[in-house]
Amino acid sequence: MNAFWSFITDRYPDILRALQEHLVLSFSAVLLGTVIAVPIGILLVYNRVGWMNSIVFFITNLFQTVPSLALLAILIPLLGIGMKPAILALFLYSLMPILRNTYDGFHSVDKGVLNSARGMGYSTAQTILRIQLPLSLPYIMSGVRITTVYIISWATLASLIGAGGLGQLIVSGLGVNKPEMIFIGGIGAILLALVADGLLGLLEGWLSKHYHQTQTRDAAI
Amino acid sequence: MSHINRRQRAGRNKEGVMNLKKLKWTPLFICMIAFAAFTSACGIQSEITIGTQTYTETKIIAEMYKALIEDQTDLKVDIIPDLASSSLVINAMKRNDVQMATLYTGEIFNNHFPISGTKDRDKVLKEAQDGFQEHFGFTWMNPLGFENTYAFTVRKDLAEANGYTKISDVKKDMGTMKLGVDTTWLERSTDGYPAFSKAYGIKFGQVFPMEISLVYSAVANEQVDIVLAYSTDSRLKAYQLQTLQDDQQFFPPYDASPVLRSDLLKKHPEIQDTIAPLIGHLDADTMISLNYQVDIEKKSEREVAIAYLKEQGLLKS
Repeated sequence: MNAFWSFITDRYPDILRALQEHLVLSFSAVLLGTVIAVPIGILLVYNRVGWMNSIVFFITNLFQTVPSLALLAILIPLLGIGMKPAILALFLYSLMPILRNTYDGFHSVDKGVLNSARGMGYSTAQTILRIQLPLSLPYIMSGVRITTVYIISWATLASLIGAGGLGQLIVSGLGVNKPEMIFIGGIGAILLALVADGLLGLLEGWLSKHYHQTQTRDAAI
Repeated sequence: MSHINRRQRAGRNKEGVMNLKKLKWTPLFICMIAFAAFTSACGIQSEITIGTQTYTETKIIAEMYKALIEDQTDLKVDIIPDLASSSLVINAMKRNDVQMATLYTGEIFNNHFPISGTKDRDKVLKEAQDGFQEHFGFTWMNPLGFENTYAFTVRKDLAEANGYTKISDVKKDMGTMKLGVDTTWLERSTDGYPAFSKAYGIKFGQVFPMEISLVYSAVANEQVDIVLAYSTDSRLKAYQLQTLQDDQQFFPPYDASPVLRSDLLKKHPEIQDTIAPLIGHLDADTMISLNYQVDIEKKSEREVAIAYLKEQGLLKS
């Protein structure tokens, strides 16, 4: 226990740096994933060509199952080392759950509601923004939250290719026989995942409240 | 909004909920499976398990141990490859999950027990042999005959262009250089980065700690300028890399030795005799060429190990 505290006090700049790297890695990957996967999910909902959906889902499933961080090792000549390739790999991991949840969320919106919207003269864009997005928000956010927790744990592998993060503490702790380093790396990742999930929960609450207001305003008009 | 359970994955609201009645039998099943696994594992358990680190050379040598022991005794040998670090290998040996491994004398600098801090080759070996016997109950045999130490390495063209032959030569360019290292070295106290910076007065512009197997392609592909390689790695040759002389004699010795749990040797003293022919038999050039056959020519560790033993006339059958 003593070693644990002295490590924290002696090395807190390094621990903070690892945390910061880990945050940047995970956050960039999830942000990219959300920005790309949500619109694609919506496109798929409105897409009438069945086989195209299957192909897109197949590809994102593939990204999810192929251990891309391990592949990066082979791709060093192409992609190099450090943050960028690691973020790219984690981003590929993040696509599938966000895409699936967006797609399912849009499909869960009651047909009657959509028909009423059409009856009230809503355009497709309005329907998406004012009805489908707010109603499927819990689904989309649950996708983002699950992904965030996964990505934070996977980002520990980024230390394989020189991207740093908490994984570096874990791996070097293994190397020099310092259990306290492994603990701090591991506990750091757990805390990061919990905090991130909590913050996203708050964001979700804020978003749904905000949306709720716009809807009532619209209804009043 | 609130009627949707937000914790659930989309589309699983109805059928995703598990039927609690079905759960009743699960513990029993788990027990049965565990019991079956346990009993079957006991039936085929081998007497010796060898652990190896992530790099090739330890795997080739493990195959040699296995071939020699199985050739000359009735014991069965298993190999667990790719343990993430030597400390992990040692912890597995402490738990008796692994009984044998190849370790390097410089291991004593990894905070296992108090050391004098000397870098003299014979003294470090003696400290390793005494310390691991006393603190862990391991028998640290005499060295196999080669060192696998840290070596600063650059691309040949870069070395020629800038006239680098020894580590001190890179000092003038250190601010702009990117360094690739294994993840452990930055943390090592006696022979790690902080101590190195003190000894040489060198701090590199950027440092990328990564998996050791990847530093070679990283430097060959100009992703980094200089790497801290392991001196017996064949990729130094394959990728046109040049190692720089350690002109301050900073790095401690890293002689490779077979290490076994002493209680295993008590039970089967014959193991020591079967491995004895390897002691002092493997020099650095031999090890590099064996590594080369695996890493570059893509042969399997086992086939390389057995071919070598046959060629040396060490296998009876």
